[in-house]
Amino acid sequence: MKTRDKYVETWNRFWFEPASALRLASARAMFCGAAFLFYLPYDFTEWPSAAPTFWMPMRTFELLHVPLIPAEWLFVLQIVWKVSLGLCAIGLWTRASAIVAAAGGTYLLGLPHNFGATQHYDTLVVFALVILAFSRAADVRSVDTALRGRRAIADDGEYTWPIRAMWVLTALVFFGAGTSKLRHSGLEWAFSDNFRLLLMRAYYHVSDGDPLTRIGLEIAKRSWLSQAIALTSLGIETFYIVALFSRRARPYIAAIGILFFVGIRAFMGPTFEPYLICGLFLVPWHRVEYRARAWAHRVATATNASVIHPDDCRHYSSAPDRIPRSAPTP
Amino acid sequence: MSAARRGVINLLLACLVAGSVYDIATDQEHWPFSQYPMFSGIWRATTFKWHRLVGVLTNGREWTIEDTRYIFPFDNSRLHLAIVRIALRPDAERKLADAVANCLERYERRRRAGQHDGPPLRALRLYEFEWDLQPDAGNVDKPDVRKLVAEVRVRQIAGVEAANRVGQ
Repeated sequence: MKTRDKYVETWNRFWFEPASALRLASARAMFCGAAFLFYLPYDFTEWPSAAPTFWMPMRTFELLHVPLIPAEWLFVLQIVWKVSLGLCAIGLWTRASAIVAAAGGTYLLGLPHNFGATQHYDTLVVFALVILAFSRAADVRSVDTALRGRRAIADDGEYTWPIRAMWVLTALVFFGAGTSKLRHSGLEWAFSDNFRLLLMRAYYHVSDGDPLTRIGLEIAKRSWLSQAIALTSLGIETFYIVALFSRRARPYIAAIGILFFVGIRAFMGPTFEPYLICGLFLVPWHRVEYRARAWAHRVATATNASVIHPDDCRHYSSAPDRIPRSAPTP
Repeated sequence: MSAARRGVINLLLACLVAGSVYDIATDQEHWPFSQYPMFSGIWRATTFKWHRLVGVLTNGREWTIEDTRYIFPFDNSRLHLAIVRIALRPDAERKLADAVANCLERYERRRRAGQHDGPPLRALRLYEFEWDLQPDAGNVDKPDVRKLVAEVRVRQIAGVEAANRVGQ
């Protein structure tokens, strides 16, 4: 086989390996549902009230001549966007709602970054919305399919690439953050008082959110602990990308990544909740559901039946990679 | 999956990955792509400066605004960074006063609309605070240095509002 063919085959295997439609549909419902609830109270219409002196368009908006639209239009746009997120979560008119969610989300989530500073807490949400707009994430477990009537859905590469794309982009976020620190500061970033001072500074109301606990100050009192946590953080960010290559390490790395964002929020303040919402995309919800059902089945049979044949429970003893055809379907 | 659709998806994936890798490799930012430079510098100083809005209550007392609700849609980070950039402009003094007036007008409008529970203000001041970092952040309410950058009174913004109404 030619080298080029090998690369093509590897590329296709990575992105388009056949997978269950259930996984992507569950990820779509969880992600859009959480995003809908998270952004529902947020009011974008206040941005046009900022004085023109605050308007400092970032490069993307400047290059594309994207304007700041009036508050009345923003009011309509944010309603349309939030409704589209809700519709996408339940899978109603999914194709159209996902496209609207992606276009509206790119504008609305990008807008605040034109006022003073470009922050980075919601870039992954924009990517997730764009990916959903191109995906077939509502082929099962959606109002659309319920209205069309049930039909068998075979495993397909269509249901793999959106999940893998989120993995790759999440890994690149971590990798970018890690390499930025190494590029600008080297290992001194960890082996100095830098992190200790950052932790202390976080308690002076300098971020978009205040730390949720005072543990950061306790850590800052111990120089060795600050350095150990800084080194660990640097390691997590730089090597998160290993998750792309090791299926076995992936769930552990993902869990560490989620704890990492929880830690930043708790000890330093920045509101990285949108990253946690994006983390919902990476969880294999179909397996979680399968295990929950198996557990419920075991509890029910143990409670109701005095004699249970072992075969009744055997196939629920562990979650398979793919749910067997005999299992309850959506 | 048809060949055409696969082509479109491959193009999308290539754009997403290439955009991210390009920004990381070149240390640039083209939102939503980024190199994620947050906290990447080294912090050595044990003192730091930050801009803070301080309200003047009707009884003349000062009230440091720390809660983001009162400066919405800005937050403590974005507002400070915006002020720093405005301060670098040629006509900084006037533009900083405009910025503070804008914050005061929004604060009062939102307060009157019941969108926050802050007290009525007589004026709004922009300070540059400087702190010596303390291990327990015990001096957060008592900065070591306070430098007044701009001040705007409610009467001033009321005058501007009235002038605008006449202009309409």
